[in-house]
Amino acid sequence: MARIAMPRLSDSMEEGTVVNWLVGDGEQVARGQEFVEIETDKAQMPFEAEEDGVLRQLVPAGTTLAVGAAMAVIGDDEELAGGTEATSEPVEAPAESLTEAEGLPAGGPTVLAERGRVAASPVARRLADELGVELANVAGSGPGGRVVKDDVLRAAESASDGAPASDAPAAADPPSPASAPAADGGAKGAPTRVALSRLQQTVARRMAESRATIPDFSVSVDVDMEAALALRAALAERDVKVTVNDLLIRASAVALTRHPRVNGSYRDGHVETYARVNIGVAVASQEALVVPTVFDADRRRLTEIAAEVRRLAGAVRDGSITPPELAGGTFTISNLGMYGVAEFAGIVNPPQAAILCAGAAEPRAVPLPDGRCATRRVMRLTLVSDHRILYGADAAAFLAELRALLETPVAALA
Amino acid sequence: MSETVTYREAVVRAMADALAEDDTVFLLGEDVAAAGGVFKLTEGLQERFGARRVLDTPISETAIVGAAVGAATQGLRPVAEIMFADFVAVCFDQVANQLAKYRYMTGGQVTMPVTIRLVNGAGTGFGAQHSQAVENWFLNVSGLKIVAPATPADAYGLLRAAIADPDPVLVFEHKGLFNVRGALDGPAAGELGKAHVVREGSDVTVVATQMMRHRAEQAAQQLAGDGVEVELIDLRSLAPMDVPTVIASVEKTNRLVVVQEAAPSGSWGASLIARVLLDGFELLDAAPALVGCDDVPIPYAGPLEDAHLPSAGRIVDEIRAAMER
Amino acid sequence: MKTNRSSPETSPAGAGLAADQLLAMLRRMHEIRLFEDETHRLFAKGLVRGSTHLCQGQEAVAVGVCSALDRDGDTMLCTYRGHGAVLAKGAPLDRSFAEILGKADGLCGGKGGSMHLTDVSVGALGSFAIVGAHLPIAVGAAFAAMYRGSGAATACFFGDGSTNIGAFHEALNLAAVWKLPVLFVIENNLYGEYSPLASTTPIARLADRAASYGMPGEQVDGNDVEAVVACAGAAVARARAGEGPTLIEALTYRHKGHSRSDPATYRPEGELEEWMQRDPLLLTEAALRERGVDQAALDTLREQAAGDVAGALERAMSWPDPTPETRLEGVYA
Repeated sequence: MARIAMPRLSDSMEEGTVVNWLVGDGEQVARGQEFVEIETDKAQMPFEAEEDGVLRQLVPAGTTLAVGAAMAVIGDDEELAGGTEATSEPVEAPAESLTEAEGLPAGGPTVLAERGRVAASPVARRLADELGVELANVAGSGPGGRVVKDDVLRAAESASDGAPASDAPAAADPPSPASAPAADGGAKGAPTRVALSRLQQTVARRMAESRATIPDFSVSVDVDMEAALALRAALAERDVKVTVNDLLIRASAVALTRHPRVNGSYRDGHVETYARVNIGVAVASQEALVVPTVFDADRRRLTEIAAEVRRLAGAVRDGSITPPELAGGTFTISNLGMYGVAEFAGIVNPPQAAILCAGAAEPRAVPLPDGRCATRRVMRLTLVSDHRILYGADAAAFLAELRALLETPVAALA
Repeated sequence: MSETVTYREAVVRAMADALAEDDTVFLLGEDVAAAGGVFKLTEGLQERFGARRVLDTPISETAIVGAAVGAATQGLRPVAEIMFADFVAVCFDQVANQLAKYRYMTGGQVTMPVTIRLVNGAGTGFGAQHSQAVENWFLNVSGLKIVAPATPADAYGLLRAAIADPDPVLVFEHKGLFNVRGALDGPAAGELGKAHVVREGSDVTVVATQMMRHRAEQAAQQLAGDGVEVELIDLRSLAPMDVPTVIASVEKTNRLVVVQEAAPSGSWGASLIARVLLDGFELLDAAPALVGCDDVPIPYAGPLEDAHLPSAGRIVDEIRAAMER
Repeated sequence: MKTNRSSPETSPAGAGLAADQLLAMLRRMHEIRLFEDETHRLFAKGLVRGSTHLCQGQEAVAVGVCSALDRDGDTMLCTYRGHGAVLAKGAPLDRSFAEILGKADGLCGGKGGSMHLTDVSVGALGSFAIVGAHLPIAVGAAFAAMYRGSGAATACFFGDGSTNIGAFHEALNLAAVWKLPVLFVIENNLYGEYSPLASTTPIARLADRAASYGMPGEQVDGNDVEAVVACAGAAVARARAGEGPTLIEALTYRHKGHSRSDPATYRPEGELEEWMQRDPLLLTEAALRERGVDQAALDTLREQAAGDVAGALERAMSWPDPTPETRLEGVYA
C-alpha cells in the first residue's frame, strides 16, 4: 500500500492545490495513469500513479496541501479496509538550498508538511477555529508561507464583507446616487472581490520581495533597429518567421556570453555566474505573468529560438507549460513593444542580476553627421540591474554590446 | 512626591526602616556591621542600631544561614547577607535542605521569616566566581521565594516585603545597578510575586530582570523609533513567577522575547517560556525567543565579558529577528 | 579486642540526684528503649519506610542532657538518630510512633518521618538528616535567647562523625565568638557511618576539639545518667550566666548496627559484650538499688513503661493515613 504525498513539482513549490481528481475514490488506478490535477505556483498539471491499485482520496478537490503532505493512498481493497496506515516513507522535505534559489525564505514548515497540516501559528489556528475560517484556503504571509494571525483576521473580514449590510439606515426618500452612499458600496460603488490565484499570489509575493530586497537601478539605451528590421523582412520573404523579440533574445544571449556577470546571480554576499545562458521570456498568460525559459539561447540559431518561443508561448496559453520549462533562467527579457510602449523599467526577477525591458521600435527623427535629419525606427532598451552585482559601467557596457549587435545583426547571428 | 535615590541607598533605607519598625529584625553577615558592607549596602546601620541588631560574622556561610534558620524558629526575623551570591554554594545545604524545607517537614511547626540578601550579577569584571546569575540555582527548590529587583523602588519595596514575609525569601541585589538612580516609591514595589509592565506596546512582549531590564528598555526606545512597539515587563519575582501578567501581554502582542543574564539551561527564562507554551500556546504567532549568555563561565577581560552579556544592541537585533520568525 | 580508648574522667558525679528524680529518668529511659525495640519490629514488618536509626544503649545521654534543660524556652536539636532525644525532651509516645508510621496525626503530619521527629511545643526543634546541619541552627536558637535576654539554653546532639564536617567547625566558632548559650553534645559511640572512629579522626579525645574554639570541653561517661546530668547541668548554668558554649563528649555505645538495614558486621569481637554490661538501664537500676529502691519497684516501673509504650503504639497504629491533598499544604506560611 502506498502513501501518496503532495509531490514537489518545482524548485520553489511549497504547497499545491488538488484541482480535481481524475479517478474516483475507491476506483481502480493503473501505474502510469494520471489520477489527479495539481496546481502549483507556476502551473497546473496532472500527476501519474506509480502503482496499480485502488485509489483512496484523502482530501477533497480544492484542498491545498504542503509538499509532502498525505494526499492519497493507493492499495488493494484489504489494505485500505484495514485503515490508511502509511507503509512507505514520507516524501522528503524540500531542500533548503533550492528554496533559497528561488529567492523565497528558506526553512519552511517541513515537519508540519510531513504530517499533512497547513502551516499555521498557534494563534492563527485558534482564531481560524473560532471565526470559522478554513485554514487551507488562507494564504500565509509568515515565514515559509505560515498562516499567521493577521492572515486569518483578514480572511475572516473579507468573508464577512461580502454579505450585504443589514443595518443600512432607512431613508425617507430614496437617496440620490450622488449624495447618499449606498448601504453596500460607498463612493466607489459596490466592490467586486476577486481572490488572487495561487499563481498570482506567488507573483505578488516575489515582486514585493524583489522590490524590497534588491537595490536596483536602470540604464537605458536607444537602438537603431533599421538593420534588424531589414533582416527580419528579408527572412520573411523566404517564409522564415522571426520576430524582433527573437532577435533580441539571440543578441542578448551573445552579449551575455561576453558579459558573464550580467548572466549571474547574487547569493549571500557572493556572485555566481553560470556556464549556460538561459533566457526567460516574459509571456502574459490569461491570469498572470509567466516566464518560460529558452535554454542555451547562445547556442541556438535564430530560427530555433523563434520556434522555441512560439512553442513555449503556445504552451502557456493552453496551460500545458511544465515547471521545468518555467525554471532555470539566468536572464529575463520583457517586451511591451507590441502595446506601443516606449520604455519601461521592470522588476528584477530574483536571483537574476538583471532584466531587459524592451519598448516598441518607433520612428524617430535622428540627426545625421552632416546636419540633416533622417527617420529611423528606434527601440529603447532599459536594463534594470541588481546593484549588488552590477555597477553602472557594467550595465552600460552590456547595453553598448547589445546595441552594437542589434545595429549590426549579422554579428549576432555569427 | 517620592524622593530620588540610588539603588544602594534604597537597600540601606529598606533595612533601616525595617530595623526601626520591628525589634525582631536583625542583620548578620560578613563585614556588614563595622564596615557597612563591602558594597556599602549596610552603611551606618550598626552605628544607628547597635551591635545587638547589626552583627559581623566570621567567614562562615553555613553558620550565617544556619543561625538565621535557628533564630527564626524562635520568632526573630533575621536578614542575612551573602557577600557575593556565588558564595551561597558554600552553604547550599542550609538554604536548600534546611531553610526551604524546615516548615514543610515539620508539618508546619516552625515558620521561617528569613531574608537572605545576595549580591549577584556580571558586567563589572569580578570574574567567574563572583558574578553568577545565582538566582537560577534555586528555581527548582520548593519552599523558597526569590526576587530580583532592578530599580531603586523595587530594591526598597521588595526587600521590605521580603523581611515582612513569613517565608524564606532570597533577595538578589545586582552589583552593576548600585548607582542607578530612581524614585524611592514605585508601582507595586512592595509585592512579592508580581511583575511590572514597564512600558506598554503592541508588537512584542519582552521580559527581563535587573541589568537586562535596563538594557531592554534602551532597546525598546530604539525600536520605537523604527515603529516597533515593545511591551516591556520587569519580571521582578522569579519564585513565585507572575506568569499571568506575561500571558496577558502575549495575548495582546502574540510574540515573546525573554532577555536574561544566564545561559538557557535551568534558567528562569527557559522556565517562563515553558510556562507560556503550556498556558498560552494558542496566543503565539511565532516561536518565543530566549536572549541570554553563552554556556561558559563568565570571563574576566572586558571585551570577553562585554561579548558574553547581551548588549542593548544585541537585544535590538534579537527582537527584530523575533519579529521575522 | 579491647576498645582502644582512655576511660572517662570522673566529673563531680550524681551524688546530688534524689531517688525520685532518678526513677523518673529511669522510666523515661525504659520508654525510649522499648520504643526503639518496637520501631525495630515495625521496620522488620515493613511498616517503616526508607530506613530508621535506633539508639538503644545511648538513652542516658539524651535523658541526662534533656533533664538539665529545665526551663520553658529551652530548646534541643538532634540528628536523624533522634527518637530518644525527642522523647527525652517530652514528645508524646503515640504521636512519635505515628510520625514514624507516616500517620496524619504524627508529630509532623506524616511529612517528616523517622529522621525528622519534631515537637516544637516541648522545645524539640527538630531531628536533622544532613550531618552537622543543625549545629549552626542550634547556634541561631541560642542567639535568639541571648538577643531577647531570656536566659534560655539550647542543646544539640550529634555523633562523633559530625565533628569532622564543616558545619561543626563554623557553628562552634560562631557560638564561641558570640558567647552563645548552647551545649554541643557529642554522642561518641565509637563509630561514624560505617567506619571506626580512628580511621576518620586524627585525635582520640574529641572533647579536645573545644580548645580550638576557646570553649570548655568535657568528657563524660555517657552511660552514667547521673554523671551526664551533672556535666550538662554545669554547662547549662554557664550558658545561662552568659559564659558561652560548652562541648561535651559523652562516651557511649550503640547496641544495634548503624542503620536498621545493615547488621553490625564491623564491630571487633567482644566489644559489644563489654558494653552490654554497662547498659545505662542496668547502671541506673544499680544506682537506685544503692539508694534503697527495691527490685520489685524497679520491675513495676519497667512494666508501667512497657504498658505506656504498648498503648501508644496501639493508638498510633489505629490512626488514619494522611490524604494525598495534604502533600500540597505547609510549604509556605
